[in-house]
Amino acid sequence: MNEAQLIARVIAGDRLAGRALYDTHAPRVYSLAYRLSGDAEKAREVTQDTFIRAFSRLSQFRGDAAFGTWLHRIVLTVVSNTRRIDHRFGREVALDEANAIEVKVPEPDPDLKDCIARAVDRLSEAYRTTLIMHDIEGYTHAEIAGILGVPEGTSKSRLSAARAQLRQDLAAFRE
Amino acid sequence: MEEERLDQVLSALPRDFNDPPPPLEEMWTVIEAAHFNSRASTPVKTRNRSLAPWLAAAATLVLGIGIGRSLPTGEESPAQRSASVAPTGEDPATREDASPAVDAYRDQASQYLGQTAALLISLPAAGEDDQSDARFAGKASDLLVTTRLLMDSPAAQDPKLRGLLEDLELVLVQIARLRVERNRSDLDLIHQTVEQADVISRLNSAAVTTQSAE
Repeated sequence: MNEAQLIARVIAGDRLAGRALYDTHAPRVYSLAYRLSGDAEKAREVTQDTFIRAFSRLSQFRGDAAFGTWLHRIVLTVVSNTRRIDHRFGREVALDEANAIEVKVPEPDPDLKDCIARAVDRLSEAYRTTLIMHDIEGYTHAEIAGILGVPEGTSKSRLSAARAQLRQDLAAFRE
Repeated sequence: MEEERLDQVLSALPRDFNDPPPPLEEMWTVIEAAHFNSRASTPVKTRNRSLAPWLAAAATLVLGIGIGRSLPTGEESPAQRSASVAPTGEDPATREDASPAVDAYRDQASQYLGQTAALLISLPAAGEDDQSDARFAGKASDLLVTTRLLMDSPAAQDPKLRGLLEDLELVLVQIARLRVERNRSDLDLIHQTVEQADVISRLNSAAVTTQSAE
């Protein structure tokens, strides 16, 4: 069964179809929400909110873009709204958690890591989102452009600007 | 920082930002409860606001009478007893107020059952064209709303009727889906469900029962 068929079933109230759609997209949605919010609990809330919103608005989904693209737009909206509301969002917590999980990875310079976290946080929302999606989550510029609703060139230029700002912020680590 | 060094740092970010496994089941429980469970109750709330409050109570009374009469027990059901007592009750004014309510609900229930039976009987064995599919799907969607209204009404407390309504909901969802997806296997599945659950004969029985209560 293809995605359009699943969507039609969800609109008709089929919860199994809803679960199938959820299973397909939830891991990536959660991962992006986690990167952007920097907190596992926030990521859980964002993911839940995203799917609840998406399901309730499925009848408005025209299929002009891929469902995943439409869904990711909702993720970004939810994260953006949440960040505005919750000023306690920060990356430090997420990085600490990452340390605990990824114990086998050779420990990078802790000072550098803190600096990166702070530098990423200092980026504007557009730059930070683009950097995280491209350099961390592995989205292509085409995907980012579709999700953010901007030309592909804008995604590239934002990434370039984000990297430039990071490079400048991390100048203290110049070897 | 040199460009090359920055690339190294950035390429290491995915490891550093390694996220915990998503709590898929936990999140789904919340999503399911928020969307699908509230979805089932929404039509009831809406309808309760738009119809007189006595309609839900009347549902139990009328369908109870109808189904009670069809039970082959030979004994008078509680619903029958209450129905037979009601005309000679001590409060004629109450009785006069209740009758229009009962009649209104009975008409609606009877109409619903008849329309659903007609839809299922007229459903072609195979898809004819997009227009006819859309017609069937549209009608099924309308009936689906009524089905869910009945499922959430006190009338569905009757296990026999509830079972019928649940089967009808499944079938109507499948038919409503024909609007966007049409293939032979779906129609076969619908017919299979109708046959296996003996839906049409149960519908006819319920329709006759409801009409006999008029």
